[in-house]
Amino acid sequence: MDKVLYLAMSGATENMRSQHAHSNNLANVNTTGFKTDLAQARAMPVYGDGLPSRVYAMSERPATDISSGVLTPTGRDLDVAIEGDGWFSVIGADGQEAYTRSGEFTVNAQNQLVTAGGAPVMGNGGIPITLPAFEKLDIGGDGTITVQPLGEGPEALAIVDRIKVVNPEPGTLFKGLDSFMHTGNAVPLPPANDVKVVSGFLETSNVNSVGELTSIISLSRQYEMQVKMMKTAEENSTAAARILQMQ
Amino acid sequence: MNSALFVAKTGLSAQDTALRVISNNLANVSTVGFKRDRAVFEDLMYQTQRQPGAESAEGSQLPSGLQLGTGVRIVGTQKLFQEGSIENTGDAFDVAINGRRGFFPVTLPTGDTGYTRHGQWQINSDNELVTAEGFVLQPGITLPAEVQTLTIGQDGQVTVVTAGNTAAQNIGQIQLADFVNPAGLEAIGQNMFLETNASGAPILNNPGEGGTGALLQGSLEGSNVNAVEELVNLITTQRAYEVNSKVISTADEMLSFVTQQL
Repeated sequence: MDKVLYLAMSGATENMRSQHAHSNNLANVNTTGFKTDLAQARAMPVYGDGLPSRVYAMSERPATDISSGVLTPTGRDLDVAIEGDGWFSVIGADGQEAYTRSGEFTVNAQNQLVTAGGAPVMGNGGIPITLPAFEKLDIGGDGTITVQPLGEGPEALAIVDRIKVVNPEPGTLFKGLDSFMHTGNAVPLPPANDVKVVSGFLETSNVNSVGELTSIISLSRQYEMQVKMMKTAEENSTAAARILQMQ
Repeated sequence: MNSALFVAKTGLSAQDTALRVISNNLANVSTVGFKRDRAVFEDLMYQTQRQPGAESAEGSQLPSGLQLGTGVRIVGTQKLFQEGSIENTGDAFDVAINGRRGFFPVTLPTGDTGYTRHGQWQINSDNELVTAEGFVLQPGITLPAEVQTLTIGQDGQVTVVTAGNTAAQNIGQIQLADFVNPAGLEAIGQNMFLETNASGAPILNNPGEGGTGALLQGSLEGSNVNAVEELVNLITTQRAYEVNSKVISTADEMLSFVTQQL
């Protein structure tokens, strides 16, 4: 059999995988703090006996684009965004410390400060933040949470905790299966003191919908090219079979 | 099948739900005491197609793997309890809560207690203060016959002057319920909220005490929906819907191309 058929098929399969990655980005075009996944194709030559003439393509996610989204005002006290670099520390699905830019926090029934998905938010001391019953809450520029306890006057302001924000070296965080960012090992990152937090704002998704749509269209044309190759391979093989039949 | 189809489908249905939340907010733009909702998006789980660090050949490792996201979902709606603007109506039975915290407790037909910010009171045939739906305020305030003036103080004291009696008489005290986590309340419609495990138990206070707002007679609290903001959200939601539907049509064209060609 002509190997071009398999080469074209692998090309089409990888195109579809890449399409999947881009469509996930587009599905999350409105998700708070979402970071675009990058997709790229890599050439994988097959070595062995004979000429290494077959080169398969392979889709991969080389990294996640961690550029900032746009900060939009919401006016809600528990909405927090990070200006510039930095990540909020939360407890991920695996119980380890994980990192996110999505600051749509709420208070759960145990009075813990949690993300919209229910993951507890870490305090600077490395334990999840628990809030007392409060009348008013303020989050300072460095993540310090000040509350006016319920039933108390403005003279009774108390500092509860400070939201742990980290600022690791670029490229050391990768997106885990729970969609939070993780470090390679289970060691929590040290808190960073120079990260600026703004309350009353949320960070939009950093997906560039025009760029993603263009990628999807170009991938779909590439896919058609691969299918065309399969068709050509089929025609070649039919022609060869016909010649053999005549003799 | 093309997996991009299913991912784009999650995008469409999430945007569709968000649209519903926005349209509900806009529908209630003039509802007294209405608190707007916000849809909260979250990306779904990721699947590892190729593990980073796996051996691609003897002695060489894949520098990066392939982890594909499976789309988006709406993880919940958040009620936003920002205070609506207070409008003066001049009606003695209109009472607004001037402050972010505090709800009027009323008895629902089921016997449960509902909580509302809607202070447009009326009188039923038993002369009790009731909501527009006829739910009785708790603790009940029963007006005597022939009321000439009704006064509701900032602290919730209700006094009346009746015909033939110039001295004002105190007929009751309105109390407000507060919750540790108002966002955890369950909205059941009719401007009513129910207590849940997440909200905590109600804490009753006289108005103006314990963080609750003072009462303002002759005023009503408007809805906290900002029409401009909702319309902007409407536009972004619609565009997000459009790009996802474009993904579906592109994925469909790919599949149709392959079935026609091969």
